[in-house]
Amino acid sequence: MASTSMADQLEDAIEMMIAEPDSAPPQVDLKISELLGIAAKLRLLPDPEFRAELKAELLGQNHAVPVAANVDIRRQTREQGQARRDVKPDEILPTLFGAGDVNYPVHRGNFAISAAIHAALIAVVATAGLWMTRQTQLTPHTTSILLTDISAYVWPLSIDKSRGGGGGGDRDKLSESKGSLPRFAREQVTPPTIVVHNEQPKLPAEPTVVGPPALTPPTFQIGNPLSAILQLPSNGTGFGGGLGSGSGGGIGSGEGPGFGRGQGGGTGGGAYRVGGGVSAPRPIYDPDPEYSEEARHAKYQGTVLLSVVVGPDGRPRDIRVQRSLGMGLDEKAIEAVRKWAFEPAMKDGHPVAVQVNIEVSFRLY
Amino acid sequence: MKALEDENLTNQKDERLQVEAARQDPARFAELYENNFERVYAYIAHRVRNREEAQDATADVFHQALASLPRFEWRGSPFVAWLLGIAANVLSDRWQRVAKRQEVVTDDLEQVGMEDDIEQRAMLYQLVETLPDDQRRVIIRRFVGQKSLREIATELGRSEGAIKQLQLRALQNLRKRIRSNHG
Repeated sequence: MASTSMADQLEDAIEMMIAEPDSAPPQVDLKISELLGIAAKLRLLPDPEFRAELKAELLGQNHAVPVAANVDIRRQTREQGQARRDVKPDEILPTLFGAGDVNYPVHRGNFAISAAIHAALIAVVATAGLWMTRQTQLTPHTTSILLTDISAYVWPLSIDKSRGGGGGGDRDKLSESKGSLPRFAREQVTPPTIVVHNEQPKLPAEPTVVGPPALTPPTFQIGNPLSAILQLPSNGTGFGGGLGSGSGGGIGSGEGPGFGRGQGGGTGGGAYRVGGGVSAPRPIYDPDPEYSEEARHAKYQGTVLLSVVVGPDGRPRDIRVQRSLGMGLDEKAIEAVRKWAFEPAMKDGHPVAVQVNIEVSFRLY
Repeated sequence: MKALEDENLTNQKDERLQVEAARQDPARFAELYENNFERVYAYIAHRVRNREEAQDATADVFHQALASLPRFEWRGSPFVAWLLGIAANVLSDRWQRVAKRQEVVTDDLEQVGMEDDIEQRAMLYQLVETLPDDQRRVIIRRFVGQKSLREIATELGRSEGAIKQLQLRALQNLRKRIRSNHG
C-alpha cells in the first residue's frame, strides 16, 4: 500500500515536471525527492532511435554531405519521426512530393523533368509501330544483276544464228570479186585471195576463213558471195589479207578472219557472247534505278530483263527490253543501266563487245 | 593506485588505436562513437533546455569530429576531451546565432559542479540500457516519448497501475545502480 502511495506521489511529481519543466520542483518526501532528481535528468534522456540513426548516418554517408546539409537532413528526419504516428496518405512517399527522405535533399523540379522524359519515352514506344509501318510502305528497294551464261564455246550450226565476222583486202582500187566462200575452219593458216601475188609458196596451204567447220560452201572460184564484181579479179579495198573492205584476213567489211560485218571470226555480225575464251564484263559503276511514282503508288513490283551490248570501251549500248514490267519501270531500268560502266569483256587479250542480260528487280518491303 | 594508473594507460592505448583505425577507415569511427556518445550528449544536455536541441548539437559534434579526425593530434588527453571541446564550440556557435541565449552560455560555463553533473547524466543514460526490458520500455516512453501512463498502458497491454509500479521500480533500480557505481 505504501508502495502504491509512493508510486502515485512520484507520478504526480513527474507529471508536473514534464508539463512545466521550468517550474520549481514540487514538495515531496525525501525518498521520492531523490527519485525525482533522477527523473529530472531523464527528462532529456536521448532517444535510442536518434542514437542509432546518427550512427548509421555517420558511417553510411562518410561525410560526402556538408555538415550544414546534415543538420537539415536531421531536422527532416526528426519531423518525419514525430509525424510517423499520424501519417497522412500523401506522406507515405514523401519524396514523391519533393519533401525528401532520410539522407538526401530532393528538388521538386527533378520530378517534373523525370516525368517529362518518361512521358516522351512512352510516347515514342507507343507510336513505334506506326513509324515502322510507314517506313515499309514508303521505301522501295531495287536491285540489278548482271546475268552471264558461262559455258564452253560452241560454234553455232546455222549462219543465221552465228555471230562475228571478218574482212580483208590488199588495198585494191576495186571491190572484191564475186565468188564462193572458202572452207570454214577453226583456225586460219592462209587467208583467201583472188589475185595471187605468190604463185609458188614454199608451204602451200588451203585458204580458209574462221567459222563453223560444219558449213561446207561450194568449191569453185573463191570470192565474196555478196560482191557485185563478176569479171575483174580483185582482193578488195581493205587490208591485212583476205577479201573485202575490212581487215584481218577474212572476207567482207568486218574485222578478223571470219566472214561478214562483225569481228573476230565467224559469220553473221553482232557482238560476242560470254564464254569460249570471251570473259564477262565486270560492272564497276552500277547505280540502282529509281522507283517510278506510278508503280510506287500502285505498290507494283517485279523484274525487268534488259539485253545490253557492252562495248570495248566498257559503255553499255543497244539496250533492249527483253521482259517488260510497265508502269514506267522499264524506262527507269534503262535510264539506270545506261549510266553503268564496265571493265570490258576480253578475248585474246583485247577488249571486245559482248552481249549480256541485266535483270533489274523492283521490290517494296 | 598503481592499478588505476595502469588501467588508465591501457584505456588510452586502446583509444589511440581506435583513433588510428578510424583515420584509416571512417567505418571504424563506430567504436569511438559508442564509447563517447553518452558523455558528449550529457555535456550538451546539461546546457540546453530540450531534447531536440541536444540531439541536433550532438549530431553536429560527431559530424565535425569525423570530418576533423585526420587533423586530430594526440596530446595525452582522452579523446572525449577533444570531443567536448568541439561540443563547446558547437554550442557557442549555435547560441551566437540566437542572441537571446548568449548570457545563458556564460552563466552555464561558470557553473560550479558541472563536471559531476555531466558524469552523473552520462552514467544514468548508460544505466537505462541495463534496466529490465519492461522497465526500460516504460522509462523511454515516459521520458523520451513523453506519453501518459494511460497511453503506455494501452501500448504495452498492461494496466495503468502496473505501468506506474514499473516506473517506480525503474527509478529505484537506477538509484541503486548509481549508488553501487559510486561505491
